[in-house]
Amino acid sequence: MKLKKVTGFISALALAASLLVVPSVRVQAGAEDSSVVVTMPTTSEPESGFDPAYGWGAGEHVHEPLIQSTLVRTTKDLKIENDLATEYSCSDDKMTWTVKIRDDVKFTDGEPLTAQDVAFTYNTCRDESTVNDFTMLKEAVAVDDTTVEFHMNEPYSIWPYTMAIVGIVPEHAYSETYGQNPIGSGRYIMKQWDKGQQVIFEANPDYYGEEPKIKKLTVLFMEEDAALAAAMAGQVDVAHTAASYSDQEIEGYSLMRVDTVDNRGFNLPVTEPEEKDGIVYGNSLTSDVNVRRAINLAIDREEMIDNVLNGYGTVAYSVCDKMPWYNDQAVTEYDLDAAKALMDEAGWTEGKDGIREKDGEKAELTLMFSNGDSVRQALAEDTANQLRELGIDVKTEGVGWDTAYDRAQSEPLMWGWGAHTPMELYNIYHSMEETGLAQYSPYANETVDKYMDEALESDNLEESYELWKKAQWDGTTGITQDGDIPWIWLCNIDHLYFVRDGLAVADQKIHPHGHGWSIVNNIDEWEWE
Amino acid sequence: MRGKFNQRQKAKALLIFSVLFLAAVAAAGVFLRDAAMVTDFSRKNIAPCLAYPFGTDWLGRNMFYRTLTGLSTSILIGITAAGVSAFMALLLGTAAATLGKKADSVISFFIDMVMGIPHILLLILISYACGKGLKGVIIGVALTHWTSLARLIRGEVMQLRQSEYILIAEKLGHSKFEIARKHMLPHLLPQFLVGLVLLFPHAILHESSITFLGFGLSAEQPAIGIILSESMKYLITGKWWLAVFPGMMLVLTVVLFDRGGSALRRILDPGSAHE
Repeated sequence: MKLKKVTGFISALALAASLLVVPSVRVQAGAEDSSVVVTMPTTSEPESGFDPAYGWGAGEHVHEPLIQSTLVRTTKDLKIENDLATEYSCSDDKMTWTVKIRDDVKFTDGEPLTAQDVAFTYNTCRDESTVNDFTMLKEAVAVDDTTVEFHMNEPYSIWPYTMAIVGIVPEHAYSETYGQNPIGSGRYIMKQWDKGQQVIFEANPDYYGEEPKIKKLTVLFMEEDAALAAAMAGQVDVAHTAASYSDQEIEGYSLMRVDTVDNRGFNLPVTEPEEKDGIVYGNSLTSDVNVRRAINLAIDREEMIDNVLNGYGTVAYSVCDKMPWYNDQAVTEYDLDAAKALMDEAGWTEGKDGIREKDGEKAELTLMFSNGDSVRQALAEDTANQLRELGIDVKTEGVGWDTAYDRAQSEPLMWGWGAHTPMELYNIYHSMEETGLAQYSPYANETVDKYMDEALESDNLEESYELWKKAQWDGTTGITQDGDIPWIWLCNIDHLYFVRDGLAVADQKIHPHGHGWSIVNNIDEWEWE
Repeated sequence: MRGKFNQRQKAKALLIFSVLFLAAVAAAGVFLRDAAMVTDFSRKNIAPCLAYPFGTDWLGRNMFYRTLTGLSTSILIGITAAGVSAFMALLLGTAAATLGKKADSVISFFIDMVMGIPHILLLILISYACGKGLKGVIIGVALTHWTSLARLIRGEVMQLRQSEYILIAEKLGHSKFEIARKHMLPHLLPQFLVGLVLLFPHAILHESSITFLGFGLSAEQPAIGIILSESMKYLITGKWWLAVFPGMMLVLTVVLFDRGGSALRRILDPGSAHE
């Protein structure tokens, strides 16, 4: 018999149990030397280093790059303000963006930052980036030392949101290993990176903007349970945590919740099932718009947030709640009776076992979630329970991302989205040229496409917000409850942190998807009291 | 000191108890499968009590049902995989011993190769290649556990072939098949049965290990490895029951299989049958 394995299990148990009685050693991490220790999920560690072309700041999870500076920044209400840029404008034909930059900025190696560096950065991102879309950019050209022109392939009114996340790298010091030893002009300098463990940042003494108040930032990469143990042991100043740990009381720490647009929702394939290249597109149950509307009505979001998130979340009706481009027509109150009436109207009548049927076909769905994500699993289970009330038999299934994308073309999947750019709407709802359907779940609506195309062609950001809103609902069609409702949105998950008493964490912008770097966006404004 | 019962009786009692217990767990799991999948957020994170002897988890699932169903899955996977493995072992072991030098070296090479690769690694590779899930786990466990038994049977058959009564039977003109059926099989059967039973604990532990590591069944399934890996996240918040009871039940199951197998050997093995 494999005694080793049994002892393995038992010692794992013992190890875990020993975590419960961590001695309360008080390692005063900060206070006097104005340094801060912050934990982040292990997935936040940038695999390819701190290089914007490989996703640092401008990847799946967007945030300020800290080490590098950006042309513009997003403000707390997600409007745009200048950073390196002193002014920017778009030509009348919308195909050229001209940006003037400051002339007093130096990289941390002493070299001045010029328009050549900006052009070099954007051209590199356009050629190299696989995690963020730069296909709209034709070429960036430095006109003189302080002026750069972006020539576009197509009109792209929300370009400033891209300019807010791309950190400018020095052309003279850029090589394949840049990600390991980044040089920038930002608020912090990367001092040390122990892969798989931690990154240490120090304040840039020559920073052109306001002097950072926090001089040293240490980021530790660990899972939530380890972060909790580290906070219990007093070893960190800010520990990221999940709703399932939110009822823990830790002496010397208090729980901080940050508003987010880190939403969870699932897709409902809109087309009839059809097989193409071995992948099934569409779903016969959810291809009926009344069924989709009934599902949206039958979701009790408040109850779900209490059940799954211990109340630490906000209801979501769209992928962009609380953003300037959100259309509040999306709000749909829970109404189970109306939902049942809609199902009856659609011909799905209740069978003996409480499951609805139509023409001998049972109302069945498989709701998938990514294996190992306990929050998505719980949301999927609660959705299944709520939809059973409506008479739809929902099974849940944990899947890996290797198969999830293909299967989501025919079955609902629990997704997480949320970003500081309206492009998210485009990515989810706009149809692709090749297939005529949206990328992640079969859906197409010409009017919705048209509004989004117009929004991208608009010459004014504020005006484009109106068009983004119309793409969601224009009074007759759209993607909301009264429209096609191809996605159901459930909630935005609050980002929770245990923060050491005495540390004043500066006001946070609404966090996008990803429980990692967003918290330290404004680390330079934090303070020890 | 001798007790009231002799070794043989004790072994029999142990064997019967093991078989009954394991059969009961396997059957209970099959019937409780639906109940084990039910989530109810109104009863989440309850410590063990009369209504929920093993407590409930963060989705409000009844851990007692979940544990039984998980063990039942493990036992059924174990039986299937160990059965396939033992059959392969019997076939290949006999073939190696009877089909001549060339066949022997080919089969021995395969045995050495499979034994040479770390067990859990090979399991993960096979299970992954077969598309994970229940199918992947069963194929993975079945294809990796036959080697030591095959080697044992090969040795046994080789020894038998040289024994006098077999040689005499050959001289008397019995066909090869006749000899194998009439003279070899009865001798091999006890070895084979004991080997089969002793494969179960291996198979069960390996099934739970790869599920624990996330290469096996998907996360909503009640499987003992999944239960244990989920429980790790909540131990720090003091929810000890999520790991302790399922872990103990797994150990108990494996120990019972092991003890039951040893008892079976004591009963069947001519060397100890009369103790």
